[in-house]
Amino acid sequence: MLIDIKNLTKKYEIGDLLVPALNGVDLSIDTNEYVAIMGPSGSGKSTLMNILGCLDTPTSGEYKFRGRDVSSLSDDELSAMRNREIGFIFQNFNLLPKMTALQNVELPLMYAGVSRAERRERAIKALEKVSLADRMNHKPSELSGGQRQRVAIARALVTNPGILLADEPTGALDSKTGVEIMALFDELHREGNTLIVITHEREVAEYSRRIIFIKDGVISSDEKNDRPDDVEEAIMRTRG
Amino acid sequence: MQIDEIIRIAIHALLDHKFRSFLTMLGIIFGVSSVIAMLSIGEGAKREAIAKYQDLGVNNIIVRERNMSNEELEEVRAKFSPGLSLADAASIKKLLPTVDDVAPQAEREVETQRGDVSTKSTLIGVTPAFIEILNYEIANGRFITQEQYDANMKVCVLGAGLAKLYFANQDPIGRQIKVEDQWMEIIGVMASKAVFTETVGELASRDLNNDVYIPLSTFNKRFSKDNLLDSEIKQITVKVKDSNHLLESAEVIRQVVDRHHFNNQDYSIVIPYELLKQEENERRIYNFLLGAIAAISLLVGGIGIMNIMLATVMERTREIGIRRAIGARRSDIMSQFVIEAVAISITGGLIGVLLGLSLSWGIALFTNVTTFVRLYSVLVAFTFSVVVGVCFGWLPARKAANLSPIESIRYE
Repeated sequence: MLIDIKNLTKKYEIGDLLVPALNGVDLSIDTNEYVAIMGPSGSGKSTLMNILGCLDTPTSGEYKFRGRDVSSLSDDELSAMRNREIGFIFQNFNLLPKMTALQNVELPLMYAGVSRAERRERAIKALEKVSLADRMNHKPSELSGGQRQRVAIARALVTNPGILLADEPTGALDSKTGVEIMALFDELHREGNTLIVITHEREVAEYSRRIIFIKDGVISSDEKNDRPDDVEEAIMRTRG
Repeated sequence: MQIDEIIRIAIHALLDHKFRSFLTMLGIIFGVSSVIAMLSIGEGAKREAIAKYQDLGVNNIIVRERNMSNEELEEVRAKFSPGLSLADAASIKKLLPTVDDVAPQAEREVETQRGDVSTKSTLIGVTPAFIEILNYEIANGRFITQEQYDANMKVCVLGAGLAKLYFANQDPIGRQIKVEDQWMEIIGVMASKAVFTETVGELASRDLNNDVYIPLSTFNKRFSKDNLLDSEIKQITVKVKDSNHLLESAEVIRQVVDRHHFNNQDYSIVIPYELLKQEENERRIYNFLLGAIAAISLLVGGIGIMNIMLATVMERTREIGIRRAIGARRSDIMSQFVIEAVAISITGGLIGVLLGLSLSWGIALFTNVTTFVRLYSVLVAFTFSVVVGVCFGWLPARKAANLSPIESIRYE
């Protein structure tokens, strides 16, 4: 099992109050799964994502990643986990504006201590994967929204992480571009990557193979999606 | 992450905001340059003082007749003081075991002339020992010898300024000039002497390069006194064997001369070395103040760095969040910002060194203040600026490193 979560809780201290965000979550995700996590705002899905992404630690419960207990890791160890095992994809891309696409993609490898030559080679490969090798010397401001998200995906892929963790990946994109990104996810899934997509959009979740609902800090439903939407068809549709 | 990567990131961040980086540096630039300029003024004053007193001889005691009005002169003569005399000089040399040698000198304002050119000069009658005791140097020819002295020969040594005035590029040795109504053969030319602007004790400063030196014997034989009340000689320079004995020797000299002059205070005693020490003590406080002011300006520069860095951290909260999310450790963020602060202060320090050197050069060029930049002052100022950068970069860097990745990545 890639991810094994048992009875996970998270409480936030706001002044004197302890506000619960997660109230005992049990969740297992296997390699090469394609999971959508859905829920209304305030449901705790962002908190779950932060903990899954090793940005935050739980108040209690167990989070094992490849059998390793993550909840007790130090800040530096969490950084290393994020660097090696988690590939973040954000709604608003979160690229560094002063750097070129290539430099942005190289960045995680730099923190991993990879040599300059290897870094460049791997970053170019990742950009080729998202069909943006010809734009690698452009800065984010010179790229379209879809292209920026592709750069972000390349950055997430470049360290060959255990999971790709996407937070509303199509939220800032028009529907046509959004579908193209979902098609890319489909392809990445077929190639063996593990994907977790956090979204509140039903259409986005429908492309995944497993849909989890969160409500009031607990998982309210967790079902296989046996007939995921065909992304190719969706593309044809958007092209009208 | 390797250090060279962090340095690259830091330098890029600075180049992305050139104008702001420059503004941040300004404090350091002015701090470093003022430290260097101020220390160079202090050092220049010190060197000038040392040169001035060394010129008078660090082992010397100068006994010089006071400048007196005619009435005063008449009064001391009426009280039986003969004024400074060769007898005084002989007694000092004979009575004091601490004394190495003495150089009496007589002086007179004269008109010198060569061809159509003439000028006012000071004619100085000296003994052959004069040049060695006063540490003067001959640039050309030689100084007065004992034979010339004993034979009252009409020979002279010119100051560098006079030689230049009368002979320009010609060789003056063996030629004649006219001093008042006497023809003198030139046997030597003195090396040029620095002109000091300050007066040392009773020694009025003047340009020594227009002086003419002749044997004292010749002086006494060929040049009558301006005033019958004038004493035989104007000054006795006493060279003491060991500078530790300067004060005691001066005291004994005072007793000897007082006795000869029937306790008339018609002379004064100057000990250049003691004056030098005194002046150094006075200047120490002054230098300390200058240095302190400059150091404070460096400190203010450091606070400027801290200010801007704190603002930068705020502005780049999101960048920090992104870097943390993709795997940067706290220490990576910390080093990035510390190195940015250090890069600012090193660059500012280097510009400050250049500005400080130019300032010190400019001060020397456009004012009559002497400056001298010592390597150590440059190193101190530069090192201090880097230390300031590290210290004041620390706090903002810590703040950056301790930002929560979750909150900072959502920061707008």
